[in-house]
Amino acid sequence: MLRILVKKQLAEVFKSYFYDAKKNRMRSKLAIAGWIVFFILIMVCLLGGMFTALSLNMCWGLSQAGLGWMYFLLMGGIAIILGAFGSVFNTYAGLYLPKDNDLLLSLPIPVRTIITARLTNVWLMGTLYVSVVLLPAIIVYWIMTGITAPKVICGIILYLVVTLIVLFLSCLLGWAVAKISLRLKNRSFITVLVSLMLFGGYYFFYFKANDLIRDIILNAEAYGEKLKGAAYGLYMFGRIGEGDFAAAAIFAAVTAALCLIVWRILSRSFLNIATSTGKTEHVRYVEKTVREKSVFGALLSKEFGRFTSSANYMLNCGLGVLLIPAVGVLLLIKGRVICEAVEKAILGRPDCAAVLVCVALCMAASMNDMTAPTVSLEGKSLWIPQSLPVEPGTILHAKMAVQLILTGIPMLLAAACGAFIVPASAVAKVMVFVMPLVYVLFSAVCGMFAGVRMPLLNWTNEIAPIKLSGAVAIIIYGGWGVIVIMAGLYLLIGYRIGAAPYMACWSILLTAIALALLRWLDTRGTEAFSSL
Amino acid sequence: MLKIEHLTKNYGEKKAVDDLSLHILPGEIFGFIGHNGAGKSTTIKSAVGILKFDEGTITICGKNIKDDPVACKKDLAYIPDNPDLYEFMSGIKYLNFIADIFAIPADVRQEKIRKYADLFELTQDLGQPVSAYSHGMKQKLAVISAWLHDPKLIVMDEPFVGLDPKASHLLKEMMREHCNKGGAIFFSTHVLEVAEKLCDKVAIIKQGKLVKEGTMEEVKGDDSLEEVFLELEAE
Repeated sequence: MLRILVKKQLAEVFKSYFYDAKKNRMRSKLAIAGWIVFFILIMVCLLGGMFTALSLNMCWGLSQAGLGWMYFLLMGGIAIILGAFGSVFNTYAGLYLPKDNDLLLSLPIPVRTIITARLTNVWLMGTLYVSVVLLPAIIVYWIMTGITAPKVICGIILYLVVTLIVLFLSCLLGWAVAKISLRLKNRSFITVLVSLMLFGGYYFFYFKANDLIRDIILNAEAYGEKLKGAAYGLYMFGRIGEGDFAAAAIFAAVTAALCLIVWRILSRSFLNIATSTGKTEHVRYVEKTVREKSVFGALLSKEFGRFTSSANYMLNCGLGVLLIPAVGVLLLIKGRVICEAVEKAILGRPDCAAVLVCVALCMAASMNDMTAPTVSLEGKSLWIPQSLPVEPGTILHAKMAVQLILTGIPMLLAAACGAFIVPASAVAKVMVFVMPLVYVLFSAVCGMFAGVRMPLLNWTNEIAPIKLSGAVAIIIYGGWGVIVIMAGLYLLIGYRIGAAPYMACWSILLTAIALALLRWLDTRGTEAFSSL
Repeated sequence: MLKIEHLTKNYGEKKAVDDLSLHILPGEIFGFIGHNGAGKSTTIKSAVGILKFDEGTITICGKNIKDDPVACKKDLAYIPDNPDLYEFMSGIKYLNFIADIFAIPADVRQEKIRKYADLFELTQDLGQPVSAYSHGMKQKLAVISAWLHDPKLIVMDEPFVGLDPKASHLLKEMMREHCNKGGAIFFSTHVLEVAEKLCDKVAIIKQGKLVKEGTMEEVKGDDSLEEVFLELEAE
């Protein structure tokens, strides 16, 4: 039974590798092989390569200083953080939110078997994260310090212990998220806030990590002594990698016991949490005076409601709403210094700071792509706009208006900041203000065009249209591509005509494309939308 | 009211609807019967303008659905077989959204919402998000939204699925009242007893083709509708 459940869950996790949701059919063998190779390349070459480089950087110095245990403590710590925090939301969704909870609970399957299957799935996902960090770390250590039987045995134990610690922490965090989310009222906004804090913390740590690691390596002995004295457990943890059987046995026993406790607790609380429908406080309806809206106003209000109702939608397609004002403020505070540094660094390209400020603002605007998944997000409710007496063009315009409002208004302020600080001629300043606004229009219209051309309507989880659809991928990467070309072309040849004419040319080009696509949306696009 | 002439719709090589013609007059409750996959939903979706068809013409109150879809949709209301409504809205917000689209004045819509929500015992739940509604509650909300703007024609796909007996009874009364006021109703159902008691006219579709159509007496004669239907299915 357990095997069947685990197999089913793994099939769900890797479903997209075997099944093409858009075409509603299985992928060809070639496509499956391609997707698997792509996955392996990402995991092994990109992520694995990154951590192999880090291991190579740290291993020799620390092991030669007799601080091999600190090397394993650091790498193990990174693996645990990546594994536990990387899979906390997956754990929450995988343990408590699967749509088949009701079905499985109604079948003659013991709850502990269901939870064991779910935990196995969580363990496998966590192990995937741990492997990209710890496997290179262990192998690098073996190669650099020589392979011995205790090191191999303890290295394997360390790997397993870390995967179990990740499982323990993921379950604990997943359980906490589940408990908290049952009590939350404005769940989508709080999720956005927490996620942004996590992102911020992650990037803060990421930018500080190099300094931190360099500092640890330089003062390894002093830190080592302090740690050994203050936190002997951490020292013992690191010792496992060096081939200490006693440390390995203690940690294996402790983590196994912790996992057993988690399994017992989850088995008992699973039924309550899995069958809970969230906060059950009934919102009592009180009749209020209604304010009538125009057709466009009603559609626009509906679109804003859709956007703000989903944390996924806001986080993945609306980061620019915060990023654009942040760039504006940054330009006001540090803009002049940055521009001076840029002008000094790139000689012979007059006013290049003006173009690059423009490019930075466009880049921030490209983080908003609400229009790309908006048609797909109609999903099974598509019958509503299609059956209402509204021109399809009005519906598409309302969808575009959301992005134009949420990107255009912050951009007005940010572009004004950019124009104010940039050391350039008056005409170039005007273009620094105008061009990002033109890009906002261009990006919204392109997103709408892609959304109508490549809709993904048969989804069961909104993550599919928001993150995984072709329209979104094209708009995000395509947008970045346009911006890179914009900057690169200026540095290569564009500077010859000057910054202001160069930005004017781009503004005209982007406006022309936007108008052409708008024309298409108002004619063939509306036909395409009503035929979906 | 609703005139379907020589409607043909293909899905690839499969003919979902084949040269189907129907005429629904004001004051009629018209039942549409057929087995699963016979082409009922395809016909209904084509009639309300959410599915493009290959051949034929559909007119609503004299207006062609292909030429003037918005004008046609102003005269009709549609309730699909699965009421997938906007889950992110509350019930009242959804009703107000529909009312805004049909430009229903505030006082009129409030009176109607009050009336129908009370009838369906949904008033207390109007503040709840649609995502918290049961299937039956969503169906009730879809029915209320359909009746909000006094449509001339109401098209429904399996409207009784998920409704409790009291709500089903209420819906039948509302359907009759609507037709007594000169409106028309075109609906599909698998519940033959309901069709037999409720419908003025009935059409039976099999593999996309119309196999029988007429008043209830013409179609069933002295037999029950179930007997006639099963006999036709066996042919």
